[in-house]
Amino acid sequence: MVMEDAEAPHHMLLLRNFMSQGLVHNQPLLYASPAIDPRGFLGTLPSPAASKDEKSHKHDPDQEKGLRIAWQYKKYFGESQLNFDGQRDGKHEYSNEFDLRKPLERHFLSAQRVDCVSIQDSPNLSALQDRSATFLSQYPRNDGSISCAGRIAIQSFSAPQCAYSNMEWDMLSFIRSLKSMVRSSNAVALITFPPSLLSPSFCKRWQHMADTLLSVKAIPDEDKELSQLLTGYQDMVGFLNVHKVARINTQVPVILDATTFSIKLQKRRFLVLECLNQAPVDGSSGTSYGTSGSCSGSSKTGNLDF
Amino acid sequence: MAESICRALRDGALEGEHAPALTIKDSIASPFGFHVFCHVLSQLSSFILAGKSQSGGLVVVSFSRSPSFYLELLKNKGIDVVSSDKRIQILDCYSDPLGWKDRLIEAGNFTALSHEASNSSTANVLKDVKHMDKLYNSIVERGKGLIGGGKNRFSVAIDSVDEMSRHASTSSVAGLLSNLRSHDQVSSIFWLLHSDLHEARVAAVLEYLSSMVTSLEPLHQPANGHRGDLENLSLIEHNLKKGKFHVRIKRRNGRVRVMSEEVHIEQSGISFTSLSSEGAINQGLVPKVQFSLELSEKERIDRANVVLPFEHQGNGKPIQIYDGRRSLADSKHERQVAATEKVQTNEDSGGGEIIYFRDSDDEMPESPKASI
Repeated sequence: MVMEDAEAPHHMLLLRNFMSQGLVHNQPLLYASPAIDPRGFLGTLPSPAASKDEKSHKHDPDQEKGLRIAWQYKKYFGESQLNFDGQRDGKHEYSNEFDLRKPLERHFLSAQRVDCVSIQDSPNLSALQDRSATFLSQYPRNDGSISCAGRIAIQSFSAPQCAYSNMEWDMLSFIRSLKSMVRSSNAVALITFPPSLLSPSFCKRWQHMADTLLSVKAIPDEDKELSQLLTGYQDMVGFLNVHKVARINTQVPVILDATTFSIKLQKRRFLVLECLNQAPVDGSSGTSYGTSGSCSGSSKTGNLDF
Repeated sequence: MAESICRALRDGALEGEHAPALTIKDSIASPFGFHVFCHVLSQLSSFILAGKSQSGGLVVVSFSRSPSFYLELLKNKGIDVVSSDKRIQILDCYSDPLGWKDRLIEAGNFTALSHEASNSSTANVLKDVKHMDKLYNSIVERGKGLIGGGKNRFSVAIDSVDEMSRHASTSSVAGLLSNLRSHDQVSSIFWLLHSDLHEARVAAVLEYLSSMVTSLEPLHQPANGHRGDLENLSLIEHNLKKGKFHVRIKRRNGRVRVMSEEVHIEQSGISFTSLSSEGAINQGLVPKVQFSLELSEKERIDRANVVLPFEHQGNGKPIQIYDGRRSLADSKHERQVAATEKVQTNEDSGGGEIIYFRDSDDEMPESPKASI
């Protein structure tokens, strides 16, 4: 689940990458949004970026089985495992790089692969629940090989224009039932919601419901304090915080080096997440900070490319 | 800052984007929201009539004031609505929002007052505001009537969302506003909100739906305790004429621009000036330490009066710059000269001198002090 910031649309960047990735890898998608015509959003999905290096790496099926909230884990495995070898016969390599300037090819958006639901007018959540149930029933989890996987993307779940948005218990029970359906099927779900519009106790409950919890935050423009505090402030558009990482069927926790990342758009095309680098502090002793290269600029090892 | 908001509304929406939406929020401590609303309304109208804006027409949905008020207002600003090519339409939700007059007439208890016929072509009475979709359709209809079809766009001004929230649920009001924003032919939209009249959630919802939020706050917070104090009264009076105008703009790149101004209410209207630098904003940035980081006035004068030992004084003496290579004798001589110079300046200025404690002189483990 992704907690939105009412002041910035960064959750849309995450949604776009999530949806494109699924479509490119033949994973059917169910997309729900409060817009009257959700199909319109599909036109803004990015196309995979041309792969930079030709590293091939044996794709480990066991590893993928454990990755329920698949795309999330890819981030934390380090660069060497980011490039999986797909077959070179027309299938795409599994990658996290998407080019926002290039829209996804039309054939990926055919009706068999993408199902869209508008949640604005439905008075309650039963319609959405039924749609999700039918969608997920197509991807039962079998012991054995990975058959097709499905993805569900729900945007701005508690948006105020939805008729059910003040029925907080109903929304909570929907999330719970969706979670149980997803667990018992071969699918992942991404839900974004604006926490500022929920009452605080429900906000907490929703956060507990999530397996993996992220939040995006806007940053003020032309803020002198921040620009002195952080390097690369000029390119940043927001912050991403990782609050929780899914621990399913494991007792080993994922310990992250950093939980706050800056969201940058490289050349306005690629979504890049970077660890924050603190700028050298003014007034500290002499020249050593200012000239050392490792402190400033984007670090290569910490790059988490989407 | 107010100009940048008006400009944003004037420039309207890009293709495929939601229309920019402005929320004007005020409270009882600083009740100038309506003045700001009228200011924005007249600015946008003049842009529209001059043909400088993306939108070709304006629909004013008036809940809290009668349409004649707006006609007067625009006339005072030099905009004659009736003759201005029908660019501005006023949807009257003020006279009879729930259709009572019709029902009273039907019930026979009420004779229609002849002077109530405000049938100017610019005012259209809406009699059923409870249903947000009907309101939506009326607004869109009026707008389309103003500009025709095709790629033309119109702007919408909603007098007060408070009245709308009285008649309908928050989600339907939110639905109306978001549908207006995403309508292809709406160029920009703005509305007024009195935040005290609602729960916090309503204000949060409206801020979520808008791309620019302006809020009005009092300049001085009166102390809570003694309301009757003379001081407090004058502060409150002060607050009735001036206020702080904060703006938060959500930019396209995802960042938020925060700006502040001072706003003055005068007879002729409203004016915006940049914030008098009381240091109110900068206080947050200065680190809080136990000693004073600023110089007092006396200290500043003293500092200006200090004569630096090796600087050109303009009194004919050659510049002596210590470059570390002088022999001891020279340096001693120099020091004497410098000392006498110093004494002289002491007598002259009587203020600034440089006091320097050398590190090596310090036996005690205290940090060296160099104060000016």
